[in-house]
Amino acid sequence: MKRFRNISLKNKIYFSILAVIMLISVAIALLARGILLESLTSELEHRGVGIAQSIADRGSGFVLDNDHPSLTALIFDASLLGERRNLVSYIFISGPNDEILAHTFVRPFPQNLSRSNPLPPNGEGVPSVRQVKVDGEPALDIAVPMLEGIYRVATVHVGLNKRHIDTLVGRLRIMFLGFIALVCTIIFWISHRISGYITLPVTKLIEMSDEISKGNLNFKLDLGSQYEDLLSDQGKFERCPAYHNSDLPCWHVDKTMGPVSPDSPPPAKPPYCRECVIRHRQIGDEVLQLADSFVYMVRSIRLYRNRLRESEAKYRWLFDAGPDPIFVLEAGTLKILDVNPRGEEVYGYPTRELLRMNFSELEAQDGMGSLANFAKRAKPGERVLYPKAIHRRSDGQPLFVNMHACGTRYGDREAIVVSATDITDIVEKDAQLVQASKMATLGEMSAGIAHELNQPLNAIRMGSDYLGMMVESGREIPGAHLRQVTSEIGAQIDRATEIVNTLRQFGRKSAITLERVDINDPVRAILKIISQQLKLQNITLDLDLASELPPVMAHGNRLQQVFFNLVSNARDAINMWSDEEGDPRDRVIAIRTFTESGRVIMTVSDSGTGIDKSLVDKIFEPFYTTKETGQGMGLGLAISYGIVKDYDGEIAVDSKVGAGTTFRLSFPPAP
Amino acid sequence: MSKILVIDDEKPTLSMFKLFLGAYGYEVLTAESGEAGLEVFVREHPPIVLTDIKMPGMDGLHVLKRIKEIDPFAEVIVITGHGDMDIAITALNLNATDFINKPIQRGDLDAALRRAEERLQLLRDKEEEVASRDLGYAVVIDVKGNITSRSEPFLIAEYEKAAASGGSIVMRFDDNSSINGAGIAVLIQLFSESEKQGQAVAIAGLSENFRKVFDMVGITRFAAIYDTEEEALTALGA
Repeated sequence: MKRFRNISLKNKIYFSILAVIMLISVAIALLARGILLESLTSELEHRGVGIAQSIADRGSGFVLDNDHPSLTALIFDASLLGERRNLVSYIFISGPNDEILAHTFVRPFPQNLSRSNPLPPNGEGVPSVRQVKVDGEPALDIAVPMLEGIYRVATVHVGLNKRHIDTLVGRLRIMFLGFIALVCTIIFWISHRISGYITLPVTKLIEMSDEISKGNLNFKLDLGSQYEDLLSDQGKFERCPAYHNSDLPCWHVDKTMGPVSPDSPPPAKPPYCRECVIRHRQIGDEVLQLADSFVYMVRSIRLYRNRLRESEAKYRWLFDAGPDPIFVLEAGTLKILDVNPRGEEVYGYPTRELLRMNFSELEAQDGMGSLANFAKRAKPGERVLYPKAIHRRSDGQPLFVNMHACGTRYGDREAIVVSATDITDIVEKDAQLVQASKMATLGEMSAGIAHELNQPLNAIRMGSDYLGMMVESGREIPGAHLRQVTSEIGAQIDRATEIVNTLRQFGRKSAITLERVDINDPVRAILKIISQQLKLQNITLDLDLASELPPVMAHGNRLQQVFFNLVSNARDAINMWSDEEGDPRDRVIAIRTFTESGRVIMTVSDSGTGIDKSLVDKIFEPFYTTKETGQGMGLGLAISYGIVKDYDGEIAVDSKVGAGTTFRLSFPPAP
Repeated sequence: MSKILVIDDEKPTLSMFKLFLGAYGYEVLTAESGEAGLEVFVREHPPIVLTDIKMPGMDGLHVLKRIKEIDPFAEVIVITGHGDMDIAITALNLNATDFINKPIQRGDLDAALRRAEERLQLLRDKEEEVASRDLGYAVVIDVKGNITSRSEPFLIAEYEKAAASGGSIVMRFDDNSSINGAGIAVLIQLFSESEKQGQAVAIAGLSENFRKVFDMVGITRFAAIYDTEEEALTALGA
């Protein structure tokens, strides 16, 4: 059956009809041939028998009279009567002893003919038919007894011309076959037309689906002339407003009548949708129903395609008009697959060039590891934020960005979408603010620093004055004294230099990049400046710094600023308490560093006044201060908070009025 | 050889003091805190004490107060940070002999020590603290030692006597003289009286430290300060 599979439907119908008709024709032909030829032959035999019978009836008298000439005349008359001439090839009458009484041969009677078809002896009245050959010519010999009473007086033999019979049969056969051929030809044509008629709409539907495949959805449904009326009728029944307007949503396709917000109730079906005319009307034959479904399907496709275009246009617009650069990156390699026009403006590379680049080339330092790692395992929709990432513009200028990365699919590839918000201005302002507050802190520190510097200066001054005095008065300086003075002067100069260096380090602007910092170092640095002050104010410093802390990624001098702020706040809190209560308790500031669950922790505790619960949340707000006007700007903790956050750190406060305050900073260790 | 006690929390400063004052010929006692200093003072009873103001534990003012309670005639020189005038005045109010700024200049230290010595001498000689000389065209009031509430009545008496003469007044401070808060208040009161009556007043011979203090409290608005008595008299146009 396989070979028939590729035959077109039209031909299948065509050949099926043909085969059936041909089978029937052949059957009829075979049947007709059998019956017709049989009946023709038997008819001719009957005629022969009739002729023989009539001769036997009329010729018996002549036989009894032995009137052979009359008998001969009789058989000649009989053989030449009308059309028998062609049919009857010979007649002869033989006597009881097979002697020839009369015959119609114009030549000598063929030998053996008289005995070629003998009648059975007791066969009363039954003709005998047998095929014989007369001089090589085939003939059908019919023998009929000539009876006189119950006696057979002679036998009449009528020879039918076999050739003539065959000619008649042949003519009949040709006629019949001609007729069958005619019928076949007509059926050929009719079946061709029928199959064409049936398959035309299907062919048209195929053409239409080809058109759809090519993307053309705007065609007129044309199923051929036979469906014209039905199709035009169908148009009249359409009441669905969404049928020709693809902007309207369809209840059956969209399950809704329009955009519905998640919390609003599902919309009610409009009356005309209760029984969808498009879906439920089944008119016409299967082909028309198929065409109907087809049109409905096309409508749905058109609707979705339009909607897809709208959506694509909308998101493309969002992508193109977005105020921030948006990159689409290949997940595995971070190759830039797409970028919006803002990328060109912000990064300074032409879009064409960006599309040839790898995203990691935009990075100022090797911070891509985490993004690459994220990209490898990101599932669609999963997102992560990289705050204050440093990138570089085409001219080498650093660029600070807040980078949002989100896993997605782009075509058939795993991809991530990265949106990079340029925060360079904010970061610069931030840095300026930090620097300004650092300078303010330096100002605040100045009294303490002055005192601190005064000490070595004083010792140096006295040492040199002593030497001067001794020289002036011409006295001899004992060697031990001289050594003592010079070494003391040297030591004190070192001490002053150290203080100056600490200040210089504190005041310098921080570099862009983070450094690995052991947080014990900034703690020690600020203590160098402030510990003497604390001592003078009778504040005990309880220092517990863990050895071998893991380093954190930060700026040493910014951490100094934070720690200085915390320690000086602690000092002020203790002094405030003492001012009010007259020094009722220990004056202690405890600084501890340690690690806890993988993070580096620094705590500053004081035994000061404490902060009221209602104010704890406020203390990190800018310009909030508990100090008297003119004593502080209220920026210290706000800026400290910002700095700690920049290093991925946490800052927490635990305070109780009358029980002191503990600030706890925690940082992730450097990778 | 007279004893001197130095109280300072700074070890290097103490050791320098030891050399320095040793070279002056003093027997130098040192203490690293206020408490230790008081103990030494009670034990050794030195006539002169130098004490730092800013110290952990008991601070310099406290030490000054305690020493004056134990011995009102002890000469206490306080050491202040540069520019701490408020503290200096507070110290003077507590009858400190003088104050010197850190870093300590040799001249200041000399002057302070000399003043202290002279006052001790004065105490030993029982000399009058305030006296006046009428030069005819002007009255010169000599002030020695310490002007405190104790010497207030003498000062007022001498001043009124001078004022009554109607001429200009020169108030000459001896090198060893010092003045406390109460004294300053009396001076301001007297000088403002003189200004009302149109009497010209000048001050002569005051140490640099006290000039600063007078400047701060506003005495220089009433009376200009001159180095010597002669200059003051000339300035007054006498």
